[in-house]
Amino acid sequence: MFNPFEDFKEFLSKVRTLPLDRLSAAHDQIMAELTSGYGKLVEQELKSLVWFVEHNRVVEAYETAAEVIKNLSYDAHSIEDFCYVLDSGVDIPYLISGPAGIYVAALCNHVAEEKIVLRLGEMERRLHFLGYRLPYGKSLRIEGDTGNFTGSALQGGDITVTGATGDWTGAGMTEGKISIHKNCGRNTGEWMQGGEIWVGSRIRGLGRITSGQIYQAGEAITEQA
Amino acid sequence: MENGKYRHTVRELYDFIRSRLYFNRPDLQVRGEQFNSTLLFTLLTALTGGKALIIGEPGLGKTTAAEYVGSLIYQLPVGTVWAGEVGGHPEQTEEKIIGRPDLGKLNQGQEEVIWSYFVQLPVKIVDEINRLPETKQSMILDGVDRGNWEYLNEMILNSEYCLFATANYQDQGTNTIIAPLLDRFDVMVESRHPGPSYAFMISQRQEKEELLRHPDLERKLQDALKKRPTPEEKDSQIAAIAEAFGAHLEESLQLPTLDHTSRTKVREQIASIDLDQDANAYTRMLLAELSFCDRHGQKRSNEVCEEGCHYTGYLCHRLRNCASNRLPVSLSNYAKALAWFTEASTVGIEEMRAVGPYCLAHRAQWTDTHLSLLQKDRRNDPLQIHLAREAMNEVFQRYSEQAEHVKEALATAYRIFQGEALEPVAGDHPIYAEIQKDLNLEK
Repeated sequence: MFNPFEDFKEFLSKVRTLPLDRLSAAHDQIMAELTSGYGKLVEQELKSLVWFVEHNRVVEAYETAAEVIKNLSYDAHSIEDFCYVLDSGVDIPYLISGPAGIYVAALCNHVAEEKIVLRLGEMERRLHFLGYRLPYGKSLRIEGDTGNFTGSALQGGDITVTGATGDWTGAGMTEGKISIHKNCGRNTGEWMQGGEIWVGSRIRGLGRITSGQIYQAGEAITEQA
Repeated sequence: MENGKYRHTVRELYDFIRSRLYFNRPDLQVRGEQFNSTLLFTLLTALTGGKALIIGEPGLGKTTAAEYVGSLIYQLPVGTVWAGEVGGHPEQTEEKIIGRPDLGKLNQGQEEVIWSYFVQLPVKIVDEINRLPETKQSMILDGVDRGNWEYLNEMILNSEYCLFATANYQDQGTNTIIAPLLDRFDVMVESRHPGPSYAFMISQRQEKEELLRHPDLERKLQDALKKRPTPEEKDSQIAAIAEAFGAHLEESLQLPTLDHTSRTKVREQIASIDLDQDANAYTRMLLAELSFCDRHGQKRSNEVCEEGCHYTGYLCHRLRNCASNRLPVSLSNYAKALAWFTEASTVGIEEMRAVGPYCLAHRAQWTDTHLSLLQKDRRNDPLQIHLAREAMNEVFQRYSEQAEHVKEALATAYRIFQGEALEPVAGDHPIYAEIQKDLNLEK
């Protein structure tokens, strides 16, 4: 009997992929790699079960983070997306905000782009250590609030926070500039050895400042050595 | 090689008519090339042996376009084409259109028919067909459809012919063209006003008809048509005179033409062009929308599609009638001819979309609601062609969104038909329901 669909005998169906599907797949792949890298860092840091902010621990955590991200391919936009992955906690079994922030800082310091914008206003958590060791030539703009140790050990980079920062902002920074549009917490500029911190509104407390300058509402509030 | 030779000849004929005989603006674009739709479809009709209804205001070149094209494609002097024309008017009779008894022989007790030139010539033109009363239109139904002309106990069968009918817009002297006759036309085109500049040019070139006249050959042709030799003898006499006219055109105008053998070859070449899968699936989707009714199984002109039908978004809800089987034949024939003319290797959706509005316009009977919604649209086409074009575009939009799905459904249907135990591909378009009906799987 004549088959009325004979003309489609040779039709080979193609799996249709929309451009968005391809973008989404690429994005998922990057997020999986970044999450895996963070997992390796956490695995290392979990040995002590409780994470203390000690200088050596921070340095070690940063070096581990720099090592695990060495071969990852990502861009500044992926870092912002990863912050939300961290915030959601869905794929992150152990969110420890210290190492998480150090990991994000390492990502910012090693990304190819010089200008990085993180729109974190929608995040429920505040990440610590954002801008840690940001090198000269890089600028980091954070839209929203950040946790403690923002811009600590800054190495010449330029950080802008459109919201407020927590305690120990700019701790141990050697050079560079941190601009905070709103408030910042206690121990601001602790062991600061150079650079500038500009605060738009209230500073809850200053740390022991070795060198550098802190401005509040445009006025210098530290004495120059 | 021959393919290119024939196409080149037809192109030359098109250009000759466009530049010397029928002046009008281009109004149709196919594969980046501009054409005048009246001239293009008249030419394709003559080439394929089709039937075209040419509508328009009086005096805008409906009949002359058909005469020029018919004359050049069939190598007939235009005077002979005029002699074969039939005029539509209320007093028209079968004896004037088809044939009459040979009264001299009848007196001697012999019944013989004198066939009209209209019936005998391959180029048939019915001028102002809508002035024929509806009761008399049925006289030419069979002849229009199959080339069979019967009178008394005799029959003449045209092996090669094309038919053009012209119609003015509705006025006091016109009648409605009955649906069965309308459906027999493959295409409907409008011969439009050419614009002031071309109209002025026409006024300056009144000698143009003389280019296709040849009184001597016209007389010879009339003599041949009057005689009653065997059909083969008559055909060969007419063919010889036609070839002589072709030679005259070649010599006087350096214009090559096609003889009977060449026209047959052209038709073979056109018929051998395949439809690609998209054109095939798109046409099936269009036909599904034009013939489908969820409530009543199919469209019927005496049944109304009720409000609340699930398929109110599709063409079936806006139509009153069902597409006949002549529609896909016309679509396929003209799309293939257009592909041949534009040097496309296969018929694609572009050819289907180009010919579709002209094949559908006179066949679709839209609901009053739909007509009232669209009749005030800004447009260049007459309403019927405009509505058909919009319908084709709408189906094309739907096809573009689900082309792979539709083809998948048709490919799966092929496998189910061959006996494989598969689930038919489902979707929200009448085509999927129609495929299930073909597979006897309708729920």
